[in-house]
Amino acid sequence: MTPTETTPRAGGAWRTILAARADTRLAALLFVVLLVINIVLNPARFSPTNWLSVLGLAAPLLLASLAVTIPFLAGRGSIDVSVGPLMGLINVIIVQVLITSAGIGSPVVLVAAALVLGLASGVLNGFLAAILRIQPIVATLSTYLIYAGLTLVILPSPAGTVPAWLSAFSGWLSFIPVGAAVVIWLIIRRLPYYDLLMAVGSDDRAAYTSGVNVPAVRFTAYVLAGLFAGLAALSLTGLIGSGDPNIGPGYTLIAIAAVALGGVSLAGGVGGMTAAFLGAADIFLLQSMLTAFNVSTFVLQMTYGIVLVLAVCLNSEKLKLYLRNRMRPQ
Amino acid sequence: MTRTLVSNRALVAFVGVVLIFAIGAMLIPGFSSLFSVRAMLVLGCLLAVAALGQTLVMILGGIDLSIPFVIGFANVVFASLYGSGVPVLLIFAIVLGAAALIGAFSGAISAALSVHPLIVTLGVGTIVQAGVQIWTKGLPTGSAPPFINTFVSLGGSVGPLPFPWLVPFTVVLTVAVLFVLRRTIYGRKLYALGSNPKAAELALIRPVVLWAMTFALSAVFAALAGIFLLGFTGSSSANVGAPYLFQTVSAVVIGGTALIGGRGGFVGTLAGALVLIELRTLLIGMGLSEAMVQAALGVLILLLVAAYGRDQHIRTLI
Repeated sequence: MTPTETTPRAGGAWRTILAARADTRLAALLFVVLLVINIVLNPARFSPTNWLSVLGLAAPLLLASLAVTIPFLAGRGSIDVSVGPLMGLINVIIVQVLITSAGIGSPVVLVAAALVLGLASGVLNGFLAAILRIQPIVATLSTYLIYAGLTLVILPSPAGTVPAWLSAFSGWLSFIPVGAAVVIWLIIRRLPYYDLLMAVGSDDRAAYTSGVNVPAVRFTAYVLAGLFAGLAALSLTGLIGSGDPNIGPGYTLIAIAAVALGGVSLAGGVGGMTAAFLGAADIFLLQSMLTAFNVSTFVLQMTYGIVLVLAVCLNSEKLKLYLRNRMRPQ
Repeated sequence: MTRTLVSNRALVAFVGVVLIFAIGAMLIPGFSSLFSVRAMLVLGCLLAVAALGQTLVMILGGIDLSIPFVIGFANVVFASLYGSGVPVLLIFAIVLGAAALIGAFSGAISAALSVHPLIVTLGVGTIVQAGVQIWTKGLPTGSAPPFINTFVSLGGSVGPLPFPWLVPFTVVLTVAVLFVLRRTIYGRKLYALGSNPKAAELALIRPVVLWAMTFALSAVFAALAGIFLLGFTGSSSANVGAPYLFQTVSAVVIGGTALIGGRGGFVGTLAGALVLIELRTLLIGMGLSEAMVQAALGVLILLLVAAYGRDQHIRTLI
């Protein structure tokens, strides 16, 4: 699709990236600015020795954003709002059911459990939204309610502890869940499925007429979202180091905001991992910066809303077209 | 054809209201008692008023996530202004006017820049809520004037009839919305733009104006719901609207309005709101915990929508 191979010269590479990724340019710019501000404000926290901890802090949002991105790519209202509660549900199942009750501490079992639960939820969402054709926001909203309810039934209030290796997912092992997601995404990029997904997202009627199995492509998008949500749940569990039924649902709206900020089109066909990660990183850095300024949560919330609205407006294709026409000499 | 389908879906939702009521009356003692019916009616009407705007926005093919935030805004600002002695009519004008501006901004931005309304309303809603919290420093004060309390009170009555004025108000509102959607230029433009934006623009419908108007209406009715909630709960809170984010969407969809736009109506939404409240009451009456009620409600919404609210296959859209 888009040529993103790096060129030999460093300046040229930057120019190529900026030119090829017009949708994420703004998010990339914001990322650089916020990163510099954060490093100036808080050099100790952002020193190279601390990078893995910072990654661990950002990882749940990065991975949740990647998860909500994939259904958006599939177009025609495809959306998965159940990602947040699913992360919460996997978190309490791992901590309460597997670690506390069953006494399982083996990395293989727990990681596999998280991924299988994520995949199972993806299959359920995909079946409801793509095969049964319930409007995606209603289908995933219902699973949102179901997961959030089950989470509270399994664990009504925060409790439990996790093994050291799982806590390390927020520290020196934080590259594992994120790295796994990057590898999975790079593999998807190489598969014919990626082109089918983008084709369905850009124009599902044209794709269907050319013989693409549109429902199957959308179904797979939800399954992949579930898989990435499973990874996000692992990062989250490592980060909070316990089971918490209240923390998951909040990730849905932040992740949707993050991917919109990153330049993923909610109408389908535009975006990818870079956009999702840049948007999520922007929101993470914004929060981190405002925390360093020691402002109240209300001011933080307001800044975050203003940045979101401004960014999606500046990202708008219509605005760019309008400005380009105005700039052109008559 | 479309119209018969819509009225059928609204009719299905009303059949649902009756059926669920019958099931509840059989299973749970006291479900059909005057107190319980009255409570369900009042809660259903509150939800319907909040979901009116969501219905209009969804006919347009959009979605309004700022409803809970506008509800909280109206709730807190109305109480604070009333507490500091501002005349009630002026407060109504300020709160509803500000809500209209907030909604018009979201709608105009979404249409003019083709940004998805989900993101714009989410962002604007966040800003509004944060603004309210900063203004009240997180500790809202004040209360509702007594006439609003009686307007929504569970113990209220309309002459000899044993329910508060909110119920006939909602009925009149439903008829008015039906008239506006069916018989006015605004209503016909709304359906035209929702079912085919390109064709509508060729018919000289200005999308930005219509989106701004519709989102403004949505915010005004959300604000009205916020004021009613103030009378219902007695004290103000910026988070009072939180459950209404998903409930309005569910009520609209159960009522047969499609999120793709171009079809649906408020009659169905009223039925959808009543169905939701009945189901909640039923589940709570069966002794389920709040968490289980939530999960069961998710399953029931899925079953309802799978039964009659499914989308068309892509092959029929070509």
